[in-house]
Amino acid sequence: MRSRGHAGTPLWYKDAVIYQLHVKSFQDSDGSGTGDFRGLLQRMDYVADLGVTCLWLLPFFASPLRDDGYDVADYRSVHPEYGTLDDFQTFLAAAHDRGMRVIIELALNHTSDQHAWFQRARRAPPGSPQRDYYVWSDTDRKYADARIIFVDTEPSNWTWDDEAQAYYWHRFFSHQPDLNYDNPAVLREILAVVDYWLSMGVDGLRLDAVPYLVEREGTSCENLPETHAVIRAIRQHIDRHYANRMLLAEANQWPADVRAYFGDGDECHMAYHFPLMPRLFMAIHQEDRFPIAEVLARTPEIPEPCQWALFLRNHDELTLEMVTEEERDYMYLAYTADPEARLNLGIRRRLAPLLGNDRRRIELMTALLFSLPGTPIIYYGDEIGMGDNIELGDRHGVRTPMQWSADVNAGFSTADPDRLYSPVIADPVYSHQAVNVTAQQHDPAALLHWMRNMVGLRKLFHVFGRGSIEFLNPDNRKVVAHVRRYGDDQILCVANLSRFAQPVTLDLSAFSGATPIEMQGYTAFPDIGETPYVLTLGAYGYYWFELQRRDV
Amino acid sequence: MAITGSSSSAATSDAPARAADVVVGLATYNHARTAGAVVGHVRQSLEALPSVRWCIVAADGGSTDGTLERMREAAGGTDAFVEVPYTIHPADALDVPYHGLPGRARALRAILQEARTRQARACLVLDARADPPSANWPAAVDPLSAGELDYVSPVYCRHPATAGLVHGVVSPVFRALYGLRLSTPLAMEFGCSGRFLEAALGETVWDSEREQRTIDLWLSTMAAVGGFQVGEAHVGGRHGSERPDVNLATTVSQVVGALFSEMESRVQVWQRIRGSRPVRQLGERQTCEEPALDVGSLIESFKLGYAALQEVWAEVLPPMAILQWRRLATQPMDGFRVDEALWARTIYDFAMGHRLRVIARDHLLRSLTPLYLAWLASFIQQTRHTGVEEAEARIEQLALAFEAEKPYIISQWRWPERFRPVKLRR
Repeated sequence: MRSRGHAGTPLWYKDAVIYQLHVKSFQDSDGSGTGDFRGLLQRMDYVADLGVTCLWLLPFFASPLRDDGYDVADYRSVHPEYGTLDDFQTFLAAAHDRGMRVIIELALNHTSDQHAWFQRARRAPPGSPQRDYYVWSDTDRKYADARIIFVDTEPSNWTWDDEAQAYYWHRFFSHQPDLNYDNPAVLREILAVVDYWLSMGVDGLRLDAVPYLVEREGTSCENLPETHAVIRAIRQHIDRHYANRMLLAEANQWPADVRAYFGDGDECHMAYHFPLMPRLFMAIHQEDRFPIAEVLARTPEIPEPCQWALFLRNHDELTLEMVTEEERDYMYLAYTADPEARLNLGIRRRLAPLLGNDRRRIELMTALLFSLPGTPIIYYGDEIGMGDNIELGDRHGVRTPMQWSADVNAGFSTADPDRLYSPVIADPVYSHQAVNVTAQQHDPAALLHWMRNMVGLRKLFHVFGRGSIEFLNPDNRKVVAHVRRYGDDQILCVANLSRFAQPVTLDLSAFSGATPIEMQGYTAFPDIGETPYVLTLGAYGYYWFELQRRDV
Repeated sequence: MAITGSSSSAATSDAPARAADVVVGLATYNHARTAGAVVGHVRQSLEALPSVRWCIVAADGGSTDGTLERMREAAGGTDAFVEVPYTIHPADALDVPYHGLPGRARALRAILQEARTRQARACLVLDARADPPSANWPAAVDPLSAGELDYVSPVYCRHPATAGLVHGVVSPVFRALYGLRLSTPLAMEFGCSGRFLEAALGETVWDSEREQRTIDLWLSTMAAVGGFQVGEAHVGGRHGSERPDVNLATTVSQVVGALFSEMESRVQVWQRIRGSRPVRQLGERQTCEEPALDVGSLIESFKLGYAALQEVWAEVLPPMAILQWRRLATQPMDGFRVDEALWARTIYDFAMGHRLRVIARDHLLRSLTPLYLAWLASFIQQTRHTGVEEAEARIEQLALAFEAEKPYIISQWRWPERFRPVKLRR
């Protein structure tokens, strides 16, 4: 079955609001204790009503699930716990019917050690094409300049395999051997996987762990030119065969390095802005705009069709790889009273607990995220302020069942609670009795309604996804102020990072004669003149203004 | 299973289509009483344009009353009369809209496609139910053919009170939202240029279930916001298009529902438009008679509606509006006045209720009928014996009120949870 979709602008991802979810965590339809595609289908109206325009699904392929599905054992099948291929296609059609696009994962750097390719490779003779699907060595001292990413669990990037009588290379868990892109057969296999899903109607692919595709001695084995050549080959293949599809790079790197993943507009369409995220948290904690302004000043221009993907939280830890050591220490001190919350080089918490469950701070951070250049991603459950459970190990604490109601298992499943893939959040502040969709739908003041309104408001103005940004630099550093421009649209965003009310004086003389219209209430503020424009913002307050000219 | 409407063609479609400067399209369905006269009138009008190559295109929805035969007779065997088929779905025939044409969007597409095939520089789509046929449409031909205008909407010679729904709701809302002063945005007739029909045919709306009812509004909205040059033609009187088998509540529900649905799908457009602009007028404005309407029965209907529907209204109207309508329900006929701002906000509040689906949409829209009758009664009271100019001035004042209240609907739309309906207890 081929799903509909793909009409409209090729730049759809620039105006998108993405909602990230895990099938296993969203809704269980059959009482198995694990979410599935049929359950997700039941909740499609909810996500459509939230106003998001694109769904990003975490891996749902056949897998031993030792890395939550990023250890793929078969790229072409759906994990039986999540349903069938037919179920996926029904879901895909339902999403398209509601005007939503769908992005899925392409974990192309590595497979599970259970994948047929690896099982075949370890038994194949050294030097054979089958063996060369992966990276082998007689020694564990090759590529010694490559860092270890999962420092808490992996002592080396090499693991000995008795069957193969050789070491195999893995940048992540030892059960995830890296594919060998020096073997052209591997790229052909991956392109066939790309065809499999895109021809079905999938709108975009998130290229997982993309900087690590190729290894070279004497380098960090990250961001190598050969890796970019692989990405360009994938992009060319997609452009040749499909319309309006998108590639999203997961490259946890500094902006200057990530820039390379856009190429000349001939590699990925989108890439995450990893360094921005921790700096948003730093800024609100320091009550100082400097970290935000600084990292955006260091962000290079990207080709016109390309776009940053922006997020506050996701399914992984709040990564602190892209900060200085001092900044990392600051973040640990500021945000991890409990050492258990630390994982690798990051903090495994959801948005609401990180922000002390302070509604005003959640709103401010979301408003900031929505106002910056890029496409925002909302992590499932953050729209209702869900909590986490750091006792669950690894990153499982931020992947607990979606809290639909105050019913047993949070309305997520009818299974015996002991059979759930993960316990629901039970602490008194964030439990499903306290935080759930049903309650918030009936509460006009709930965070869910605020999120829906903000998503709707952002979608009204393409300037947020497409426009330029220009920072104003008022004397009061507790205030962030910037202007976004696109075509005739001029939007002024002002945010108070402080927990106390703040005055701010802005030089808006470039907009003299314009009337600032506060965008939520469509309220006209005093006209802008030649003299400095004075505003007062409440604690964690923010404004978005349309600067309307009389002559338009 | 889908069926097709008229497929036998007076001028067989096997032959290569002859080019035509002007195509006049008629979408019909059991219009035997009027369709022949309309074709005859159109033919006569076109024959009076000697240098113009023309063609009449009929898209019939499966009439069983001899509509096609009447049209063929009136065409008099000319090969410039062509019948085009279009797909009619069973659901179209089961749920014939207020305008009486099943699958109207597909019928219009068939007409526009034929016009494109014939490389028409102007295409007029006329109402085959008009009795007498709308005159003065030829005034639109030259500006459309010359590319001076892309879309021409009709202005009918009639007192505003005889088309209260158009003048009291559709036109002012359309003007406030899309910034264009069109008298009849939901007319069943229009003229368009080759450029416009090309753009319209490139859109994907034609098969949507909703557009079978509302395609006329979609077209005029596209004209308003799509960068096209728009005009109005004074085409004469308007009679015979009412369907006696459709009651007022159904018409209100379908017409206002069309307006609100279009509003929902064009939100990114109308929230950015400020003010409004006039359009070029074609033809001579004609005078018309003041209708004789029974204001007392209108007010009585409103009061009955108030007693029965106030709880429904409380689902969408804010408390102050409920109190204002309550005061009106106790007013004697002499002092019965509906404030323009109240009426504009009431329509906008219903639009919000429609968007948020606070109750079943059809139920909500039907409940607007007594409020509409109250506004109509008030309008008639204010303009009785004042002449049509004064009535039109009042309509202009109303339109300005809708424009002035536009920030209200924008703020409600953007932040709907501020909307706090209260339930009344009787």
